[in-house]
Amino acid sequence: MTTNNDGTLLSGNHAVAWGVKLARPDVAPLYPITPQTPILEKIIELQDKGLMTVELLTPESEHSAMAAAIAASLTGARVFSATSSQGLLLMHELLHYAAGARAPIVLFNVNRTPASPWGFWPDQLDSLAQRDTGWIQLYSETPQESLDTTIMAFAIAEAANIPVMVNHDAFYVSHAVEAVRIPDQQWVDQFLPPLQLEHKLDTQTGRSFGAPIDQAAWNRSRREMCDAMTKVESLVSQTGQRWGALCGRNYGPLEHYRTAQADVLIVTMGSMCGTVREAVDEMRQQGQSVGLIKVRLFRPLPGAALREALVGVSTVLVLDRNYSPGMGGILHQELKSALFGMEKAPQIHGLLAGVGGVNVAAEHIQRWVSQYAQAEACVDSIWVE
Amino acid sequence: MRQIIILGRGGQGAQTAGNLLAQAFYAEGLQVQTFATYGGARRGTPVTSSLRVDDKPIRARCNIENATAMLCFDESLLDKNFLRNAARGSLILVNSHQPSEAFSGLGDYQIKAVDGKAIARQNGMGKVVNSALLGAFVRLIQEPNINTMCQVVEQTAPVKQAQNVAACRMAFDLLQQQL
Repeated sequence: MTTNNDGTLLSGNHAVAWGVKLARPDVAPLYPITPQTPILEKIIELQDKGLMTVELLTPESEHSAMAAAIAASLTGARVFSATSSQGLLLMHELLHYAAGARAPIVLFNVNRTPASPWGFWPDQLDSLAQRDTGWIQLYSETPQESLDTTIMAFAIAEAANIPVMVNHDAFYVSHAVEAVRIPDQQWVDQFLPPLQLEHKLDTQTGRSFGAPIDQAAWNRSRREMCDAMTKVESLVSQTGQRWGALCGRNYGPLEHYRTAQADVLIVTMGSMCGTVREAVDEMRQQGQSVGLIKVRLFRPLPGAALREALVGVSTVLVLDRNYSPGMGGILHQELKSALFGMEKAPQIHGLLAGVGGVNVAAEHIQRWVSQYAQAEACVDSIWVE
Repeated sequence: MRQIIILGRGGQGAQTAGNLLAQAFYAEGLQVQTFATYGGARRGTPVTSSLRVDDKPIRARCNIENATAMLCFDESLLDKNFLRNAARGSLILVNSHQPSEAFSGLGDYQIKAVDGKAIARQNGMGKVVNSALLGAFVRLIQEPNINTMCQVVEQTAPVKQAQNVAACRMAFDLLQQQL
């Protein structure tokens, strides 16, 4: 590992593995899949070198990995798993189960196109298609953010009793090697004490989880999830501030970049945010008042914070690196819904940018801003080149 | 910002070369971002490694469309499709036993050929060409320093450290004589 004053050179996936090591999980059921595999490989390497002690399980599929994760989590263990694309889709049934059982698992997903056709490219449809499963979803822009968010995700999951899925884009983040600061183990131990679950499987007490229940009890379980979800936005803020106080890097549900007096705001998630920053700086230099709202917390969507961020803004461009057939861009849809009833709401253009991993360079973003800044918005998302 | 693309076939070491080059730039105090893309981890399929180098943190996360330099591990991959992402006049090193002039018809680029395979073989590296190609490449683009590059190669080579370093330096010297 090459290290200097700026940090250690790590890929996004290896940064996640370091985050996992620092969070001291008890159990990690893992199954390999491109482009997630380097997370699994690095965890095994760290374990092999004696740098971490985790019970590694390597079952025969992602479905079994998530089943093992749920069972382990319900015994009170801190549990981590990682996957991507087809693997996440295979877990789908058990994602619902984990959330319903209120198992505070942390799952890292590397965003990759789902088949068919077969591909390995950055696209967020895999995780966005899980948005109704009851998991908290966070999206990361950089390897450093992925490391930090992995650690914060345990704190969030364990405080809310809701599983957390952290996502970063294939290749642009997962395989991007750059300077990453690895926090001190001492800081992380202070930030994330050992897990103490109030209710857990225990052979001494003979309790069970997930027994068949009547309609009213099932209904109540969802009302309880609803209550828990309403607290997540402030929990993410507080956790980000607490992390920032320790290591100087603050994180919130949204990030505002050069949004002061902006007429046009670009709203997006994940790796594209970095390229948008370049485009924003260039446009600001040319006298255009453009800014970026980065959505870190997608589920639950911080609707009130988004409405507040968009007051006085004339135009919003949502960049979606996903496509829901028959509907359009998923962030576009969610944002339109979040702004329901807002007075003087901005014109919202949904741009299907980067679907299937096609390249989105800063020049493309600048061109879209000039193309759509004055245009009247339409309800449907638009394919852009 | 320097923008570099390395292209090879899966198993040739293009991805490793990108990482080693990034480490050498980083060791000299520069900021780096390197990432590989591949259509499946299979030997023989094209693998691209992209590298950005700057004196400030790098934020862009997209493909390189205007490379200032390129390193091509396999001359059969050096075609218009690959060169589409090269800026005019960019420096390109290709692994080939042919003379550099054989590639002059490809367009407005400064293309240099080096016989990485021959250098690797002479230094006991068999078919492993990446240390030789890195030596020639750092001479062509005139950074990072060859000593830094050799240090990184020595520290990271899993086996045959001395042979790797010898191949890296020999290719550097060979290009030095030609330029």
